[in-house]
Amino acid sequence: MLKYLIILLDKSSIPFCHYDRKGSDCGLISVDNLKEAIKFGMKENLMIQFVYPEYDLPNEYLPIIDSIDHINIKPFIQAGKDDICVINISDAGELIQQIKHDTVVVRGTICEFSHNINLFKNLIYNVGRVNVVLTSLTQTQNIEISLYSKFLDETVDYIVSETKKGRMLPKLNILTDRLTLDKMNNCNAGTETITIGPNGKFYICPGFYHDSDTDIELNGLDLTIPNKRLYELDKAPICRECDAFQCHRCIWINKKRTNEVNTPSHNQCVISHYERNASLKLLSKLRENGPFLKGVSIPVLDYLDPFEKIINK
Amino acid sequence: MTKQTIGHVLPEERDEIQALFERRNGLNELAKILTSDNAELYERLVKDMGETSTKFQQWWNRMGEKYQWESSENGSWEIDFNDCTIYLVTQE
Amino acid sequence: MSQPFVPKTAWKSGVAKTITFIVTKDCQLACKYCYLVGKNEKERMSWTTAKAAIDYILAHEDFFKEESVIWDFIGGEPFLEIELIDKICDYLKTEMFRLDHHWFNSYRFSFSTNGINYDSPKVQNFITKNHSHLSIGITIDGTPRKHDLNRVWKGNGEKGSYLDVVRNIPLWLSQFPEAGTKVTISSADIPYICESVLHLFSLGIHEVNINVVFENVWHNGDDEAFEKQLMDLADAIIDNGYYQDFTCSFFSELIGKPLDIERDNQNWCGAGRMLAIDAAGNFYPCTRFAAYSLRNKKPIIIGNITDGIDSDKLRPFLTLDRKTQSSQECLDCEIASGCAWCQGENYDAASTSTIFQRSMAICRMHKARVRANNYYWNKLYRKIELEADICTKNTNCGLC
Repeated sequence: MLKYLIILLDKSSIPFCHYDRKGSDCGLISVDNLKEAIKFGMKENLMIQFVYPEYDLPNEYLPIIDSIDHINIKPFIQAGKDDICVINISDAGELIQQIKHDTVVVRGTICEFSHNINLFKNLIYNVGRVNVVLTSLTQTQNIEISLYSKFLDETVDYIVSETKKGRMLPKLNILTDRLTLDKMNNCNAGTETITIGPNGKFYICPGFYHDSDTDIELNGLDLTIPNKRLYELDKAPICRECDAFQCHRCIWINKKRTNEVNTPSHNQCVISHYERNASLKLLSKLRENGPFLKGVSIPVLDYLDPFEKIINK
Repeated sequence: MTKQTIGHVLPEERDEIQALFERRNGLNELAKILTSDNAELYERLVKDMGETSTKFQQWWNRMGEKYQWESSENGSWEIDFNDCTIYLVTQE
Repeated sequence: MSQPFVPKTAWKSGVAKTITFIVTKDCQLACKYCYLVGKNEKERMSWTTAKAAIDYILAHEDFFKEESVIWDFIGGEPFLEIELIDKICDYLKTEMFRLDHHWFNSYRFSFSTNGINYDSPKVQNFITKNHSHLSIGITIDGTPRKHDLNRVWKGNGEKGSYLDVVRNIPLWLSQFPEAGTKVTISSADIPYICESVLHLFSLGIHEVNINVVFENVWHNGDDEAFEKQLMDLADAIIDNGYYQDFTCSFFSELIGKPLDIERDNQNWCGAGRMLAIDAAGNFYPCTRFAAYSLRNKKPIIIGNITDGIDSDKLRPFLTLDRKTQSSQECLDCEIASGCAWCQGENYDAASTSTIFQRSMAICRMHKARVRANNYYWNKLYRKIELEADICTKNTNCGLC
């Protein structure tokens, strides 16, 4: 059942997930489309998330946006403390001390995270919650998985040492979410979340708005999702066998890399399993200091891609 | 011609002779196109044909010994690869 | 004592990798039911492309781990390119041996031909050269009127090809006595099913593999007419005792049973476990995903001879199962076993660009087949039972 509606206020709205913008052109949603989109959200009882561009919106838009309870997703330079703040790790250098938001989405490639690990360590204790989003995952070449593994290991060690000093466990999607999840907690685009682009049309997620190669077409403002069942976990043969519960399970990367919305790429699975295994490492190390999250158990696996498990069945 | 069942072999024994059978056929058909111009490969082929043929005969000797199959002067043994059955085929 | 062998039935079924060369998209015929919507005379595979494909495949033994391989050649009509095929097969044999590739011990060359130039010297020389590794199927649809209804010459109005094919059947059967033929049924063919299968038996073809097309071509009443034809065929096969020497794939004891959602969850089709290569050097999960086979969708290309296979593109095919692609109606169906599907047609007919949506176009035809199939087996078992009864009473009954 749909729960969330993402409204992209502009063509240049800040990318807050794995996708990139189509270009740098601006293209503001019309007032009429914005009102229609909000009305749709209200009628369907959806929590609305507005995604902002880097420039200030015209004044006439603000009361319309404020006519409904909502969440703002904004670029760092626009974001208030309660907004979800989006920043690229490679741009965080001088700004790091100013990032004090409740929730921060930090985007970057594996290399960028790896090169900026000290900034990253600072960040995770400054804010309420950090969501790491890796970019460039749709490329065909091999990812720098050993760099990512090292990045995760170093972050685990840092969290363990800070915890020993008495600091609270930070909230970090790639390491701490898995500790408390007992089922999949994914993006759920197409089942729980739907997007309206600045052109007033529906999209499965912002990735599909920005990427014309992924030919999923929804019919204007008539929200019927063809083959809707394929967005459900039960209809994803690899994901339903998987326990990397923190995985984004990005439908857009799926479509882009495998041609199917319900099938993840090898890279997506391997990355999620490195994160999952690093969570296990974190759990084990934290338990060396005494009881921690009693009853939580993350089994040791002999694969990094559940595809292997299915093929070997 | 008469054909009577005289025994069976194990699937792994069948696999062994089937691979040799296939290899022998492959070598025979390769021999039709490979000439001595390609000296190195040609020599390998000739050697392989000899070795495969020997292994092939050894399998029948070994199995005949193991299972003590019935034989006859004007007969030959056959195997059905599908069900591992061994037949005695006799020319009348 | 010499020890010859008798290999029988479908070769390495289920364990062999099928690698298909689409050597040409041309054909002498323009069959009305042909799923190849983009046939043409221009797209012929070059030797350079074929060689590059072979070199790539044989160099990646780790990726192609199947114990056996079927090197398959299709078109259009593959034997239009017999010179290229001959060169490909010679190269394959030499290279598999040179590289000590595990497939040298287990390979076949497979062809589906319209049979028109089967007796040409070039085709016959090829057969002589490779006989022990060949599997050749000639397509003949049945009686002249049934065959000529669909299998007509290209560019020649309604001229049927029956006579041009049937003349080669004796030669073919003398070379491959165990060979079977493949018959395809569309709506217009239904009235001729019974006579056609019996005709093929009379030509000496012992194995008739027959199926209805997967495309949505069916009209109201086709299922009843189909059922009647199969019942007539069942009567003829049983009353005349053909069941002892001939098989027709319409009748199988395994079809028409419910399937368990977990235990019987495998995919029907082998798409993705196969590999097809076209003249441009592109790789496909099966020929049905090449552009010339698709009416509505873009081709699904999984790699090419330069860049190799993109294994991400194969993941959906290798994880496809019955449960994920079937509707609830299919999952609940009490006669589901034997209800086949073609992954390419599923994709082409799907409401989105997915292989995970099973087409239900043949649903009523499958149900009709199951009813006739039940009739067939009930009648056959009763006949055998009664004959056995006679035997126990009279040992000289002549039936044994």
